[in-house]
Amino acid sequence: MAKAFTSNNTLVKQSSQGDALLAAHHVSLIYDDAHNKNNYALDNISIELHAAERLCILGANGSGKSTLASVLCGLLAPDTGDVRLLGEQVCQNGKIDLEAYRRARRGIGLVFQNPGDQIVTSVVAEDVAFGPENLGVPSDEIAARVERELHRVALDAYADADPRRLSGGQQQRVAIAGALAMEPQAIIFDEPGALLDVRGRRSILHVMDRLRDAGVAVAHITHYMEEALGADRVVVLDHGKIALEGTPAEIFSQKNNLAALGLEWPFAARLARKLRERGLPIPWVSTDKELLAELGKLKSISVASPAKNSTTVPQAASVLAAQQLSFSYTPQHKALENITITIPAGSRVSIVGQTGSGKSTLLRLLCALELPDEGKILIYGQDSASGGQGRRGRAWRAKLRSRVGYVMQRPERQLFANTVAEDIAFGPSNQGLSVQEVQKRVEEAIEICGLQDKRTASPFELSGGQQRLCAIAGVLATKPKVLVLDEPTAGLDPHGRQELYRLLSLLNAQGVTIVQVTHSINDAANSQIVYVLNQSHLLAASTPQEIFCRANQQELRSCGLGLPLALQWAIKLEEAGFIQADELGQPLTIDELADSLASKYVAKEAHDGSQN
Amino acid sequence: MAVKISLRQYISGDSWLHHLDPRSKLCCGLIFVIAAFTVVTLEQLILALTCTTAILISSKISPRAVLRSIHPALALLAILGLFNLFFIKTGTVLLTLGSAHITSHGVWAAILYPTRFAIALVVGSLTTLTTTPTAIADAFDSLLSPLSHIGLPGHEIAMVLALMLRFIPTLIDDVQTISEAQESRGAALSSGKMGLRIQAVTALLVALFASALRHANNLSRALDARCYEGNAQRTHLHPLRFQHHDLICAILTCSFVAALIYLA
Repeated sequence: MAKAFTSNNTLVKQSSQGDALLAAHHVSLIYDDAHNKNNYALDNISIELHAAERLCILGANGSGKSTLASVLCGLLAPDTGDVRLLGEQVCQNGKIDLEAYRRARRGIGLVFQNPGDQIVTSVVAEDVAFGPENLGVPSDEIAARVERELHRVALDAYADADPRRLSGGQQQRVAIAGALAMEPQAIIFDEPGALLDVRGRRSILHVMDRLRDAGVAVAHITHYMEEALGADRVVVLDHGKIALEGTPAEIFSQKNNLAALGLEWPFAARLARKLRERGLPIPWVSTDKELLAELGKLKSISVASPAKNSTTVPQAASVLAAQQLSFSYTPQHKALENITITIPAGSRVSIVGQTGSGKSTLLRLLCALELPDEGKILIYGQDSASGGQGRRGRAWRAKLRSRVGYVMQRPERQLFANTVAEDIAFGPSNQGLSVQEVQKRVEEAIEICGLQDKRTASPFELSGGQQRLCAIAGVLATKPKVLVLDEPTAGLDPHGRQELYRLLSLLNAQGVTIVQVTHSINDAANSQIVYVLNQSHLLAASTPQEIFCRANQQELRSCGLGLPLALQWAIKLEEAGFIQADELGQPLTIDELADSLASKYVAKEAHDGSQN
Repeated sequence: MAVKISLRQYISGDSWLHHLDPRSKLCCGLIFVIAAFTVVTLEQLILALTCTTAILISSKISPRAVLRSIHPALALLAILGLFNLFFIKTGTVLLTLGSAHITSHGVWAAILYPTRFAIALVVGSLTTLTTTPTAIADAFDSLLSPLSHIGLPGHEIAMVLALMLRFIPTLIDDVQTISEAQESRGAALSSGKMGLRIQAVTALLVALFASALRHANNLSRALDARCYEGNAQRTHLHPLRFQHHDLICAILTCSFVAALIYLA
């Protein structure tokens, strides 16, 4: 796969050498903040994007990716350097030609992270038409383009729909159709999948590949390494500089650099490392294909299927429970129907399901933020509705809520105070604790979230990952025994995700019950109980081992989910004929997979060392 | 729930009201609303109510959706009605409740003023419910274009108005999610001591303001990326064109006004 892309890449380079569609040479961009003068958002960067090329831009939060995207699509001019967009010299040595910028922008599209903020009107077709209207395209031509682009992103049926009623993935496809209707020669995707589920991200990658094949230059900024593997070329940014540049294979062979640059290794590379740690002679690899080839060089011995991991649901007193719960926002449509779940104390629970399946609604009911239409919500055995609707009910629910820590989607939106410490103190001081006690709680929360050196910083100046931790610290300071999180890792970079996993495991080890709604099947595989919601109903409730098994693959896929990567890999090995069915058991995490592989394969040297 | 604010939003449909040119819709709607406020006699009120009902039915918008978009104001109208009922002292006394006298003028005022207001609200919300934000922007754009000739930013004002309509629901969602998050941290938004309440509302407002700025930032990036320049060079997917039903609508509106004057 990597080879094919390399050759394709050289072909593109030859055909368009010297006439890159978008080119920035030695550009720097400086911004000032409260503490430091002369921060470089971009520091002497040179980059080119050619027709029919998919360039992937990687880098940690704050490395300058989005700034670079703005420069490349002509929305931001650098302080120094040259920029040439679609043949227009828009910026020469820092001197800006506004007219040239205007002309160039007409041929460059941009799609960014938040789907809602890119949609300017209330009808899908009219939103797609907005760009061409601004370009002065004749009406009948606009109508044709709208139809064509909605078809391209598979939203033909939604032309008259209200974008707000669509899922995040569909909204993002509306935004893409809107950009494409302007018939851009180049299009820039700035983390388009950060807030989407697996299916949403997959469909966007699909659209990108087809655009590239149609000759459009595509630049794609992402935090997901697996998405970069399919690019023609990858650029890694670090503190405003280009740290690495090359084909995906070249980039991901820089094994030692990746972590320092805030990047994650691709799954195959991580698995190879785990296997090395278990004594198998497997070199660094970055793609699935290479790892398969390496495994093929090893000698396998036949082993019995490993014993199944314990698949019992933890038994403990229930802290949260829903009984025959139904709820609807509008009379026509039930958001939840007949849901019964139990969350035992100290457990780690995941609620999964595709967008619109009712996951977030269920969380809000479990936190007594909403009352059920039918059935009951029990919080520590207390009925959330027993106070009724009035003033007494509000006080009752407030009391129940104080025992459950609720972390909403993108909780950094709740930050408000001047300093991190003040923001974290908001919860405990609302509880009417003494000043000393509040102080103590704030310190503990800062400590556990690793924000020690940010105490007096403004929450608005933190990086995305730190903002999320700060918001969670604000909830932890109220000392909840149950923590309920809605998509806690959405939009975070790999480092932020790692920090969050560390925090959740630590809290769970301290006895805090963790309930999370997640898009990530790999996260769900790490929990003790998984609830699967589909179209307002509870589809399954069991251990991850029972739910994420081969027999359920088809059904999981039909409701927008899938199997964890480790199990997908095991299946891939079986299908490639490496391994008999079931020899690997049912690995759900990368460690389990590595363990079974290590018992299955032995190094050739060790087995028949005499011949070497 | 701390706040539950209704959404005043476009509802797609296929009625004559949906197909009306937004310029004639806005102008006729405005004339109708102003005329409704001049209603003083019973005959006029019956005429205005009949016309409003006719518009409501023919718009094929469910009365419930209209009610949802205006119900916060209706509570206010009910209070207004009660005030009139108890505090107007002129006219013949119909009923005495303790120290309060209910008079014939009071009863009439208690019916007339809220009803007039309700008519204006229903017609106004039908206008926005059947017009997309871009269509409203286009209409304003066209109606305000004389301003551009004297150097005022007519196009930009129109776009700002349209985007405001588009983003009201988004901001309402933000209010809801942020206040829920703060309430989960014990913020006293809907109950509790005054001091704590003020603290809670401040926290909510700051977070909301930051959120609105974020939306504004993203939106300006989106508008730039899609080459919105706010000038008359724009074309339209559905170009504004007066058609015969716009003429009919104008004639009907004029007849309504004439009838009101006749009945005065």
